[in-house]
Amino acid sequence: MKFWGVRAVSIVAAFLLCFVLEKASRGLDSFTQQLIVFMGLYVTLAVSLNLINGITGQFSIGHAAFYQVGAYTSAYLGITLFPKFHGNLFVWLLLMSIAGGVTAAIAGFVVGLPSLRLKGDYLAIVTLGFGEIVRIVIQNQKALGESGGMDVKPHTTEQPVMFVALLAVLCIAVCRNLLKTAHGLPFLAVREDEVASSAMGVNVTATKVIAFTLGSAFAGAAGAVYANSLGAINPDLFRSDLSILVLSMVVLGGTGSITGSALAAIALFYIPEKMRDITDVRLSLILGGLLAVGLGVSAIRYVTNHVHKAPLVRAGLYLASIVGGVIIAEIFAAGLGKVPALAGNVAGAKLRLVVSAVVLIVLMLVRPQGVFAHHEFSWSWVARLFGRKAPTTEVAA
Amino acid sequence: MAAVDFSTLPQQLVTGLLIGAIYALVALGYTMVYGVLKLINFAHGEVFMLGAYATLFISWSLGYTPANSLTNGSWGALALMLVGSMAVCGIIGALIERLAYRPMRSQARISSLITAIGVSLLLQYGGQIFLLEGKPQNVDPKVSPVYSQDPIKGNFSVHLRPADPKLIEAANALKGQMESTKAAFDAASKGKDAFNLPDDVKKLRSSAQDAERAYNDASGKADNSAIDVNLPKGQVIMLGTTLVLMAALTYLVLYTKQGRAMRAVSQDFDAAALMGINVNSIITFTFVLGSALAGAGAMMAATFQSGTKIDTFFGVLPGLKAFVAAVFGGIGNIPGAVLGGLLMGIAENLVIWAGFPGYKDAIAFVVLIAVLMFRPGGLLGSNKVEKV
Repeated sequence: MKFWGVRAVSIVAAFLLCFVLEKASRGLDSFTQQLIVFMGLYVTLAVSLNLINGITGQFSIGHAAFYQVGAYTSAYLGITLFPKFHGNLFVWLLLMSIAGGVTAAIAGFVVGLPSLRLKGDYLAIVTLGFGEIVRIVIQNQKALGESGGMDVKPHTTEQPVMFVALLAVLCIAVCRNLLKTAHGLPFLAVREDEVASSAMGVNVTATKVIAFTLGSAFAGAAGAVYANSLGAINPDLFRSDLSILVLSMVVLGGTGSITGSALAAIALFYIPEKMRDITDVRLSLILGGLLAVGLGVSAIRYVTNHVHKAPLVRAGLYLASIVGGVIIAEIFAAGLGKVPALAGNVAGAKLRLVVSAVVLIVLMLVRPQGVFAHHEFSWSWVARLFGRKAPTTEVAA
Repeated sequence: MAAVDFSTLPQQLVTGLLIGAIYALVALGYTMVYGVLKLINFAHGEVFMLGAYATLFISWSLGYTPANSLTNGSWGALALMLVGSMAVCGIIGALIERLAYRPMRSQARISSLITAIGVSLLLQYGGQIFLLEGKPQNVDPKVSPVYSQDPIKGNFSVHLRPADPKLIEAANALKGQMESTKAAFDAASKGKDAFNLPDDVKKLRSSAQDAERAYNDASGKADNSAIDVNLPKGQVIMLGTTLVLMAALTYLVLYTKQGRAMRAVSQDFDAAALMGINVNSIITFTFVLGSALAGAGAMMAATFQSGTKIDTFFGVLPGLKAFVAAVFGGIGNIPGAVLGGLLMGIAENLVIWAGFPGYKDAIAFVVLIAVLMFRPGGLLGSNKVEKV
């Protein structure tokens, strides 16, 4: 009984979140609404990549390709079929995301096949190559607008906030349920040890292909929504930078943690988006910042490896290394600011992917397992937060 | 889609070979680092990019600026650019190894890979801030003493087959016809409104146009029957330098103490350390060597391929293609990298020749997937069975 109670609370909370987002975004301007839509799409992308990368352990950096396949499917069908369609826009969007999901799933199946023979860095480079091939092929198709891209029908001014929120929730729910049931165990087993899991009777081939197919289906569905939200798409939107941004989200959140991927997606989307508003950053401050990061990281690594004291002392030392790094950076930046060559300013928008890069490097140096590692959000954790002693359950994954 | 034309094939093959020389230089860096560390150095393409910038800045400081360029090229400047670019790249390679890869050596391999991706992104986008604000620039081709806009002076030409005399004759016969019909039309249309001609004059015009088309066809055929190969002189120097560098590398790896240590480390880290080899310094040395070769490749790509614009993404595609070349030849295998690089350049030009220039950049990945599917060890590598 308790199980169903908790489950009901989860489902109600998820729908409530979608509803609140929808209501809250109604009052906002269309640009902000679009940002909310993009945020939902990034959450979907990150969680679906996490299924491939984090949960099944197949290192893939070609996620933008599936996103692109979905987007172009939706754009192409919109031009050919939408004039004959008489119905609700929500229904159209649903059909489109199903279509995008199916085509992307086929693409995912095709990429999943080489993954049977490859692993680690080779798989990474093949998926990267596949992403480039998809982009170049689409870029050379007359029917798909070549490098100029396509106009997406229908033109709506209304952003599909509710739809995206539901898509993200669906993606999270599917991944979460997969992990928490017996169906998900083969995926984890394949990640931990392929040979051992195949000896235990896990069908490694099927598991890897299913992970790729499912993950890319969600990316494709997200792509279909992206095309409709944006109104016009072109191949340049799906460069490998996008794949790497999504990869940074998964890595930052903690490979294998759905909660981590979702929250990291929001953070890595929101922070760079905010940075667009900053119009001038001093060049000297950027150099100082990089220095601070370097010093802080080396201090933290030193504390981790060489100081064996009480946790509180260590926490204090971590804090001190961060503060120390910032202070030294400020002094350094003030000194550098006097150099005429470094007196200029840079627009914050230019720093967006630099932040992503620094996050990747720092994370690998300081906490390679990601912020959340393999931990997940759970109600018992919430209960403990409010001082209730809930029975602690084993965390899957 | 253009028709396949065999008379242009030799030219495309040679062009491919020249570009392949640069891929081979960059691929050597990938293959050496992979041989020693089993790490795909994703930042290698960015080292290449920084080498191109080093070349650019050195050429500017020597006076070949876009605003006020010297007109005479000099061998000294070229040598300085080559050495400077190699030195800068070597230092950057050592720094990347020391700051980013060495701390990761005890972690899982995938962490090193993610770090490498991070370093590569940082150099691309961080470079946009500090290197000329990311605006594309090119090295003045006049820095090379053999550069000339004139195709006869600037190229070595090899005539493989002269034009077919019968076709030339046929073209010349058509030329007379074209001129006479044109003259007839000119005479008839004199003093008349060009947009409102009588029917008989219009007929003359269309016959003149037909004759001209026939002549153009015939003379095109005559031109195509000759097979010439043009080699820009700069690119020939480039190929020569590449061969010299490769010979030096082969000597270094096979016949010196450092080279022997490198080979030992690539076979077994721990055993090499037990034999008294300083593994850390050998790894740094490998990075310096590989990056310096990338720097040489970058200098030549930036200087001798006229019209190449340098921005911070300059190294992305050459880097990826060179990596594919290294895998193609058998990663960890030095002659394999050279072979793979040359084949890669040729394959790319064959795609252009076959009439699919838009797919030029995709061929690398198609080759990669095919190699990994059917011969994962590469052309010259060995297929190792993974033991459990």
